[in-house]
Amino acid sequence: MLTYIARRLLFLPIVLIGVTLLIFLAMSFLTPAQLVSAYIKSPEELKNQSVSELVVKYGLDQPVWKRYFSWMQNVLKGDLGYSVSANMYVAEAIAKRFPATLELALFAVIPVICGGIWLGTVSAKNHNRPLDHVSRIFAIVGWSLPDFVFGLIILLIFYGLLRWFPPGRLSVWADSVVLSGNFIQYTGMNTIDALLNGRFDIFLDALRHLVAPTITLAYLWWAYILRITRSSMLDIFSKDYVRTARAKGLMEKLVVNRHVRRNALIPVVTVVGSMILGLLSGVVIVETVFDYKGIGLLIAKGAERMDYTLILGTSLFYGVLLVMTNLIVDVLYAVIDPRVRLE
Amino acid sequence: MIIKKLIRNRISLIGLVILFGFILVAILAPVLAPIPEELLKMDPNRDPYRIPRYGFSSTPRPPSTEHPMGLTEGQLDIFHGIVWGTRTAFKVGLIVVSVSCLIGIIIGSVSAYIGGKFDEIVMRFVDIFMSFPFLIAAIVITSVLGKGLRNVMIAMILFRWTGYARLIRGNVLQVKQDEYVMAARAAGVSHIKILLRHILPNTIFPVIIQASMNMGSIVVTASSLSFLGLGAQEGYADWGQMISYARNWILGAPGNPMAYWYTVVYPGLAIVLFVLSWNLIGDAFRDIMDPKLQG
Repeated sequence: MLTYIARRLLFLPIVLIGVTLLIFLAMSFLTPAQLVSAYIKSPEELKNQSVSELVVKYGLDQPVWKRYFSWMQNVLKGDLGYSVSANMYVAEAIAKRFPATLELALFAVIPVICGGIWLGTVSAKNHNRPLDHVSRIFAIVGWSLPDFVFGLIILLIFYGLLRWFPPGRLSVWADSVVLSGNFIQYTGMNTIDALLNGRFDIFLDALRHLVAPTITLAYLWWAYILRITRSSMLDIFSKDYVRTARAKGLMEKLVVNRHVRRNALIPVVTVVGSMILGLLSGVVIVETVFDYKGIGLLIAKGAERMDYTLILGTSLFYGVLLVMTNLIVDVLYAVIDPRVRLE
Repeated sequence: MIIKKLIRNRISLIGLVILFGFILVAILAPVLAPIPEELLKMDPNRDPYRIPRYGFSSTPRPPSTEHPMGLTEGQLDIFHGIVWGTRTAFKVGLIVVSVSCLIGIIIGSVSAYIGGKFDEIVMRFVDIFMSFPFLIAAIVITSVLGKGLRNVMIAMILFRWTGYARLIRGNVLQVKQDEYVMAARAAGVSHIKILLRHILPNTIFPVIIQASMNMGSIVVTASSLSFLGLGAQEGYADWGQMISYARNWILGAPGNPMAYWYTVVYPGLAIVLFVLSWNLIGDAFRDIMDPKLQG
């Protein structure tokens, strides 16, 4: 087990270097003058010096490999450049916005995994009966609804028509409380902070704003997890050891819970990695639709204004984040399925 | 035989019918939504993909006999946009799918055929490409290359070939050890000929099916990028962009929340039905190809 993790850890720097190279390659499409904004330390520099002076100052006329090393030095120091559209340093913007996105993703992941696995089990147990067909149609339709269409419809119904779930992260009154000095922002996640501060009214307000974006972010993956669980459960149902379990007179409930589901979950775990990828992509659309101020909206606004400093910085952050989550998923996979370790 | 099965399967039949409808709309676009004559008089070379504008107010107008689906923000005709948007959807989907599939097949099969260290390096390269979320990667590339539908397609191709490369690689690795390939090699057939004549015909089919089933998701990503304002230019017939026009009107007028429903419902329906048709066919395909699930 330990050697497996160690081997995966050894791989980590190679993949990370690959990711940074890819981002750097994307940057090399830009002219040196365009690149300046990715290098400057503060907005004042643009006022005091001409762009061509800055190009020389930051060595943007140097050969590629030299530029890569100096860029990497900056990145390792946490310096990702200055974002014009967000009007602050990219690293600062990420630190500010990430908790909001994390909060949204966490709220989406839990119902997706629990609900998807449960429905998948139900649908596999009722294979080819009406319930199975209903869940299948639900999954296909869900998979075909683009998130920006679904989100706008949710917004139309639950805000336009019913006034239940407003867009944004907090109501105006709650926002002013959070920003006032009396409210301590421990994590940046409004629901958790509100509980830690003992403000139950703010907790409810934050929750109310989270419902619609969470549903929009989650439904697509719900359908996906359902399908994967269903097909892998069906696969396991036909295995010999399940027949043995039934033949020895085990209750059906125990057969399903102990023998089938546990093995059927292995493929589901592999999907979790790509689900996290998908959720992190999804927030760009979902946050735009619901005007939810997280990293997704930051990227969308930056892309609209062609703020490549911000786009490259956040995508590097995403890349590192994803490499890490993939590593965790791989390790988790090895914990659940002993066969993987032997390979 | 597969087509017979698809027709017999009720769900996939619905998909085929919807898809056929879209193909008809795409072919008949010049008949269904011709460029209005007054505009054609002003500019005989007018691009039919440019949606005609009927006025200068920004507020949408509800459906009427002249404009069966109404006018969206900026007085753009929704019906015209949907009809020509069908062509845009097919164009984007077909180009991205075929080019990225071709690249994937070439790189994946050559890598598997050569094998060893070379294969290892190529696959790590693929891993790195795949570790980026597709939409984010597409945003990065379009923000570097510049906005526009063409750059959106380039960005998607750059990050789509990897999946196909991986798929065909697995298939080639299996077939590579088969006797007929060994026989061909022993008979002194050149490597290129073995790959083209013996290996690819036996491995390419599932990849092509997989690729064509991705049409739906590719069109969704392309319209997401247009929705974010990175894709089609202003006023171009593109479903994603039409939905982004609807964004400001989604909450309706005071006292009438459904006042502008048509701005989002029609383009939304177009995208959903298009993607649904591909997914219905794809789902049936998967069951046909995987007899285990028929149980």
